[in-house]
Amino acid sequence: MKHSLKKIIIGLVCLGAVVLAPVGATMTGNEVMQEVYTRPNGNNMSANLIMTLTNNRGSTRERSIVQFRQDDGATEKKLMFFTAPADVRDTSFLNFSYSDGRSDDQWIYLPALKRVKRIASDNTGDSFMGSDFTYDDMGERHPSEDRHTVLRQETVDGWNVLVVESIPVDPKETYTRTVSWIVDGEWIGLKKEFYTADGKLGKTLSIDAFEKIDDIWVITDMTMANVQKNTSTRIQMKDVSFNNKLADSFFSERQMRIGPRT
Amino acid sequence: MNFIARIAKKPLLIVLFILGVSILLISSIAQNASLETDLDEYMPATHPAFVFSDQAEEMFSITDSVLIAIEHPDTIFNAGTLEKIKTITEELPGLFPEVYAGGITSLYTADNITGTDGDLEVEPFYEEIPRTAEELLALQRRVQSNEMVFGRNVSLDSKATLILAEIDPDADAADLHVRLKAYAASFEGPETLYVAGRPIVEGALAELGPADMTRMVPIVMVVIIILLLLLLRSIRDTVINLVIVLFGTIVPFGAMAVLGVPIYAVDTMIPVMLIAIGVAYGIHMHNSIHHSVQTNPGITKHQLVKEVLTAMIRPVSMAAITTAIGFMALMTSQVLPVRYFGLFASVGVMTEMVLALILFPASIYLFGPPKIAPKRLTDGSESGHVSRKDGAWGSAIMHRPLRVAAIAAIVVVLGILGTTNVWIDTSFLANFEKGSDIVITDDFVNTRFGGTSSLNVVLSADDPDTFKDPEVLRAIDALQTDVETHALVGNSFSIADFIKRMNKVMFDNDPAYDTIPDNQDLIAQYLLLYEFSGDPETLAKVVDYDYQNANITFQLKSDSSAVMSEVIDMVAVHGATLTELGVTLRYAGSGYKAFVFSELLLEGQIISLVLSFGIVALLLALLFKNLLIGIVGTIPIAITAVVNFGVMGLLNIPLSSATALISSIAVGIGVDYAIHLIEHYRNRRLEDVSIHDAAFETLAHTGRAIIYNAVAVMGGFAVLMFSVFPPNRQVGGLIVLNMATSAIGTLSILLVAIVALDRKGKFIRIKSTSGLKEKLS
Repeated sequence: MKHSLKKIIIGLVCLGAVVLAPVGATMTGNEVMQEVYTRPNGNNMSANLIMTLTNNRGSTRERSIVQFRQDDGATEKKLMFFTAPADVRDTSFLNFSYSDGRSDDQWIYLPALKRVKRIASDNTGDSFMGSDFTYDDMGERHPSEDRHTVLRQETVDGWNVLVVESIPVDPKETYTRTVSWIVDGEWIGLKKEFYTADGKLGKTLSIDAFEKIDDIWVITDMTMANVQKNTSTRIQMKDVSFNNKLADSFFSERQMRIGPRT
Repeated sequence: MNFIARIAKKPLLIVLFILGVSILLISSIAQNASLETDLDEYMPATHPAFVFSDQAEEMFSITDSVLIAIEHPDTIFNAGTLEKIKTITEELPGLFPEVYAGGITSLYTADNITGTDGDLEVEPFYEEIPRTAEELLALQRRVQSNEMVFGRNVSLDSKATLILAEIDPDADAADLHVRLKAYAASFEGPETLYVAGRPIVEGALAELGPADMTRMVPIVMVVIIILLLLLLRSIRDTVINLVIVLFGTIVPFGAMAVLGVPIYAVDTMIPVMLIAIGVAYGIHMHNSIHHSVQTNPGITKHQLVKEVLTAMIRPVSMAAITTAIGFMALMTSQVLPVRYFGLFASVGVMTEMVLALILFPASIYLFGPPKIAPKRLTDGSESGHVSRKDGAWGSAIMHRPLRVAAIAAIVVVLGILGTTNVWIDTSFLANFEKGSDIVITDDFVNTRFGGTSSLNVVLSADDPDTFKDPEVLRAIDALQTDVETHALVGNSFSIADFIKRMNKVMFDNDPAYDTIPDNQDLIAQYLLLYEFSGDPETLAKVVDYDYQNANITFQLKSDSSAVMSEVIDMVAVHGATLTELGVTLRYAGSGYKAFVFSELLLEGQIISLVLSFGIVALLLALLFKNLLIGIVGTIPIAITAVVNFGVMGLLNIPLSSATALISSIAVGIGVDYAIHLIEHYRNRRLEDVSIHDAAFETLAHTGRAIIYNAVAVMGGFAVLMFSVFPPNRQVGGLIVLNMATSAIGTLSILLVAIVALDRKGKFIRIKSTSGLKEKLS
């Protein structure tokens, strides 16, 4: 009883906030990050990705990937096919990520070997495909893994932005504090800074382009720069399309072998 | 000369001047002097080998690591030890700022890539500490089936494991070895912990060597003082000798402090040289004064000073200038500290010369002519003071010149034979006692694991993706397999190992697939897969982004440059195969740089020795206006150098930066003795003394000074032979040897040669007829 009353009060306050002020002004950090986490990103999506890795000496490696994604609420399935460089063309990578918190299932297909291998790995803190992004950074980190606080409001490029500080619940994580710049009401991040235990800036994520496609915000250009290692990874997204529903069977070993033909 | 005499008349002023300058220089040393212990500062930065190595080190993040080994009496696969591995891995970067944050490799950080039943597993070996027997056994099995870890991070008997911590080369790690050992000790029981690796050895060495020298040099000085007192029987002259040596040492070090030149480890040899040389100048001056007083007991202060200066200015200044120029020859070295050594050692020599020439006359003005014990006056032959012993020696030499020459020839031949046995070796570890903690630790790690030293072989190609080519990878694999047959090469690590591991894993751990596949695309896909596994940094240590440069790391069980040289020879054999594939082969890493450095050092040392040999011959020829004397005069230097290197070869003392510099003593002392001997003989002959008498008189007069000098310096440096620091023992022993050969060589074969020249009329064109008379007789 007491509980529901509290909810009603919060609800009323929120309603007032919608009318009187920017949406997030009175939201808690946890609520803001929950909004970001649940921001619609389309149940079906396909896109061409260009991933550019730059090492500390300024050399770059560029990889082109065709990506298909499908989310039924319980499982997010991603199938990726490499199209370049030539020697890894048709290498494919299938990832199932479960909303109930189970470890991801991953498979890899090596065309030169004509074999699919299931990859058993449970390190979400690990690098995403050898890049400066981790699986967490790719949107899989649940808001409950951190405690969030809204630090302040700012205006960035004309956007009303909430600056949210997040402290991991598990104190042993590499980055013991992150600060995110979240566009109020749109729940899209513009920038994120990662700090290590000694208080130093570890890496920064900058969102350099995003657009609304089929009414869904899509980040089309972002770069993660590891300040300490002096490396960076840029991910550009092109030819994004939503709601071209694919059969469940598309996200399969068989398809991994066939290639990106639908 | 009058100038010196005039200065000498103001002894108190001289004392004040020396005191004042000493105070100024000592305070400058106290304020500005800096000891350079960073070995990188010794390397010629622009040398192509160093430039390339530095680039490669940056490209592949090649750094020196500290190795912490944990040994358990039974097995490391128990909860307690695994917990300790985890704690150390997690704590190290926080507790030691020198350690790179991501630079720890241990069983706790390692990922295990395995293939089972179609699955590819990429997992840490453990995260939570396994506690049950089954869990522990399962972990043991995983470790033992992974050749990337088993034998590298975990010993083959599973009783020891290794934690590697990369050390920031720019960090000031002066007492790192002390702190790390204390930290490791806190984890002992039932495990034993060992801390090894180059940064530890370097740290301990930088501390031990100079510390031992500071402990030993005062003892050396005390022994020399006692010997001088006994030999010279004069407190006054002993004190003057001491002032010459001390001030001669303060001046170069003070000059270094004023000019902002750091003190390098080789500079500890400067006082050693200056003691040996300075004492010689002092003794010759003392000898000359006594000679004059003995010949003319009633001599006045002024007369005495004039007589001594007339006799000594030429030989002392010529000896000093020649020695200084000999040291200057070291400035041709490519190694900066050696250039400075040459420069400042010559500054010291010149200072000692000036002091010797001024202080002795000044002491005469201050205290009057020395009182000579009457016993000595009655002693001896026609020249007044040739002892019986000198006489016996003289007769033996003078009457059997051929025998002397034959013995000298035999010594030289033996020396040359020994010299061919001299092996070049620079090893940090060789500087420690066999039973010392640091050697035991190093041995432990070397027997259980790949090795505490490393050599990086860097391969470069013009075309991208070269290091995905199966043929190139096979050539690399063949190179590794071949070089690993060397007993002191523990293991090696390259991109080929990654590919072989991936291939085996993808074929369900079938050992038959522990090979490089034929298909280049498959190799590219394996590499992509390895990156996916979340460990791209390990890959970055073996190959660059464009697959145009690759790095093979060999773990060596010895830090000796001789071993490094052998391994490099084995690697180089594969150069031709790789060249055909468009791949060039070069080397990198601190071990390799130390190797190149030692070669440069020795090369420079030998060049400068040869050069100074030529310079000395030329100067002697000019000085005595006789080319033959120039050549003959280098005999003591040649004999000393040959015997020095010969004994090193015969006794297996490796030629290292420290022992190589000692051969400079051959130049410094050899020239000195030669000049004094020739000068004295010539003066006697110019005074129309017969060849025979001139030779005996020279032996008695100069010979005595030479023997006193040799005995005092030898006695002093013999003390170093009892040092706890093996290189200092070698230094001590070699100085004793060099002083002895210089003295004996000068007093035997040089004299014989000069007499022989004289007999043939090729020594001096004398107006007198005594030479002719003798010829006729």
